[in-house]
Parts: sequence; C-alpha cells; structure tokens
Amino acid sequence: MADAHSLPTLAQIDADGVLEEALDAAVGSTRSQFLRSVALGSAALIAGLSETAAAAPSPKQDTAILNYALAFEYLQAGFYTEAETLGTIRAMEVERERWARTLGAHERAHVKILKGVLRRRAAPKPFFNYRGVTEDPAAFTRTAVAMEDLTVALLGGQAPRVSDRALRSAFFSLLTVEARHAAWARRIVGVEPVASAFDPPKTLAEVNQVIRSTRFLVSRPRAQGRRAPRFTG
Amino acid sequence: MRRPVMESAVDGRSRRGLLVGGLVGAAAVVGAISGLGRPAGAQAPSPEQDERILNFLLGLEYLQAAVYAEAGSQGAVSGELAEFAKVCGEHERSHVERLRELLGDAAQDEPEFDLEEAVSDDDVFAETAIALEDTGVSAYIGQGANLTVEAVAAVAPLVSVEARHAAWILAIAGRHPAPLAADPAASAAGVASALERAGLGLPGS
Repeated sequence: MADAHSLPTLAQIDADGVLEEALDAAVGSTRSQFLRSVALGSAALIAGLSETAAAAPSPKQDTAILNYALAFEYLQAGFYTEAETLGTIRAMEVERERWARTLGAHERAHVKILKGVLRRRAAPKPFFNYRGVTEDPAAFTRTAVAMEDLTVALLGGQAPRVSDRALRSAFFSLLTVEARHAAWARRIVGVEPVASAFDPPKTLAEVNQVIRSTRFLVSRPRAQGRRAPRFTG
Repeated sequence: MRRPVMESAVDGRSRRGLLVGGLVGAAAVVGAISGLGRPAGAQAPSPEQDERILNFLLGLEYLQAAVYAEAGSQGAVSGELAEFAKVCGEHERSHVERLRELLGDAAQDEPEFDLEEAVSDDDVFAETAIALEDTGVSAYIGQGANLTVEAVAAVAPLVSVEARHAAWILAIAGRHPAPLAADPAASAAGVASALERAGLGLPGS
C-alpha cells in the first residue's frame, strides 16, 4: 500500500507552486487527490528506477539513467507534438507559438540524441495519454513550464550519478536548454523568469512520483477513437 | 549612441574603452585557469583539479556579480534590464558564496574590476550580459567532464540558473532565448576568447 507520508510532498519539490498549479489544471484534482499515488507504470521508467536506486556510478547505471532520461524526453516530445497536431500551438499568440514550436523541436532532438547514445540499448517508447491538456493553450503552457522545470531537476540530479565523464558534460548541455525553455516561458506568462539562485535537484523517486501523479504515462495506447480532440465531440 | 559590445570589434573607439575594464576582469578569470584542459581533456578528475576549476568558475561568477553591481550603481540601465541586473546580481553573489564555501581557504579573492564602460547604457549592458551568461553556461558544460562527481553535484544547481539568466536576457534583447537543442561546451581557453570578443577580454590575443 502506498504511504503518502513517506513520499516527498509537492511543496518540498515545487517551491513556487508552478507544478502544482499545472497539475491541478492537467488532471483537475485537489491537492490530496493529487498526492495519492497512482500506480500506472511505464516499463521503461519503472525499470530504470529500480535499477538505479542507490548504486555507485557504473556503465550499467549510465544505461539505466540514459533510458530514464530518454523516456522523459519522449514524454515531453509527445506532449508538444500532440499540441501541434491538434492545432493548439497554431492558435497561440506569436511569441508563445514560437516558444512552443521551439520546445517541440528541441525535445524531439533530445530523443534523437539520447537514442543515438544508447543505440540498441535504447528502451522502447512508452505510451502516453495527455488527458486533454494538449487541447487547451493555458493548461498546455502551465504544464509545459512545469515539465521543463522538472527536467532541469531530473538532469541536475542525474548528472553526478553518471560514470562517463563526457556524458556528465552532455547532461549539462541538455539541462541548460531545458532551463532556457522554462525561463523563456515564465517570462512570456509574466512570472519571474528565474525564481531562485539555485535549482534544487530531484531524485528519480521524486521525479517518478510527480510523473505518476500526472497520469500521463499509461500501460497501453489509447483506443484510436479517443484520439479525436474533445471539442469536436 | 554606443555600439553593442558584441559588435565593438569593428569599432576601435568603443572597443578601447571597454578593454580598460575588460583587461582587469578577464585577467582575473584567466589567472585561475592555466593548466585546465579541453572540455573532455586528458586529465582525470581529482580534488586538486576541482580546486583549479572551481576557482576558474568563481572568477566568472565574480565578474558576473561585478557587472550587475556596476549596472545597479550607475543607474545606466532601465526597465526590465534594471530588474534583470538586480535579480541576477543577487543570484551571482549567492553563487560566489557557494563556490567560496566549496573551496574554503583555496578560494581566490575577489579581483578589482573596472567595468564602467561595460554597462554604460542599455544596449551595451544587454550585450555584455548576454555574453557573460552564455559564456557562463558553456564554461560549466565544458568543465562537467573535468570535475569529480562530488563537484558536479555541487555545481549542478548553479548551471541551470546561468542558463535561465541567459534565456531571460536574450528574450529582453529580442533575441532567441534557446537557439540550440543542446548548448555548446567551452574550454577554459574558449571562455577567455569569448570574454575577449565581448570586450571583456585581453587585448592583442
């Protein structure tokens, strides 16, 4: 049975509340509902987590961390791509549209970069259901900012756990791009672009907890009929 | 009207003015870095190497903090740029403190900077800040491979903040805040020449 008290609270990992706001918008939940652990597992993410719980840096752990990062980039890339496909991004005002298209292009590039590093060790793409967030520009933007900040915390936490020196630099060069995305978005929506002098890292357990709470990760693809945007039905 | 710093290489008059301040700043930064290798250089990470690298990064943070303090004290910048200088100045001072804590007695002292010309108006300040922040991002990325894992863990919370600063100042200046899918790494020498191109570097090199 999941014990919510043993898990980090949202306040601890979301100092300025952006994430909570985004997730409330995303899943329409109250804080207590949100903090309930929803065990919808992605094979890649959960396997990556169990393999990398506490070990010292090693090549095997590098692979698990890279696959975790890959799954996360798939999550982001899929989110932006779906919003583009649905026309949500096209309907945004010009600066936001430029921002959203840039993010989509970058996250798809990150997927390619990580797949290129992992080659045949790359885990398959997980299945996602963005639960309508990609249809609404406001919810989309809030969730995007939260995901970018979460990626910063993920990559910042994992960079020191990587055994390969060159990969540590590579993680930094992805981390800084995610941070640019977040600051850019925050400025567009009128929030302080840089909230703090330090970005606290998150552990994989903390990141996993947040991802599970979004329920974006599903164990199998949606039925084809549910792909239609809600506003058409 | 002054030309932006990044374009000042073609303008001898403004460039000379900027170099008066830049000479001191870059010398202080570069002084700490002799012996640092390429981003993925031959030297394996070690506590001794961490000390040199963290002092190099401390030099950069001193320079950033000094530029923003100068912008604030001169009152030459206005609007969102003034807000940027105030917020980032606080962050860079926090970074200086964090790096000094990590280095302990080995921390280099704060050099004296003369940066009056680097912040003389909005355009000059914006271009100086863009160069400083983008260079800072690339400096940290470049050294990620040379630091021990303990030092990587210690600097990671600063690295992304530099990138946030960079995106903010680029957006204010009407430039692309995130022009690349992966940010470039810079060696210590690359950092020195980037500062030079920004009018914060050593002359004649």
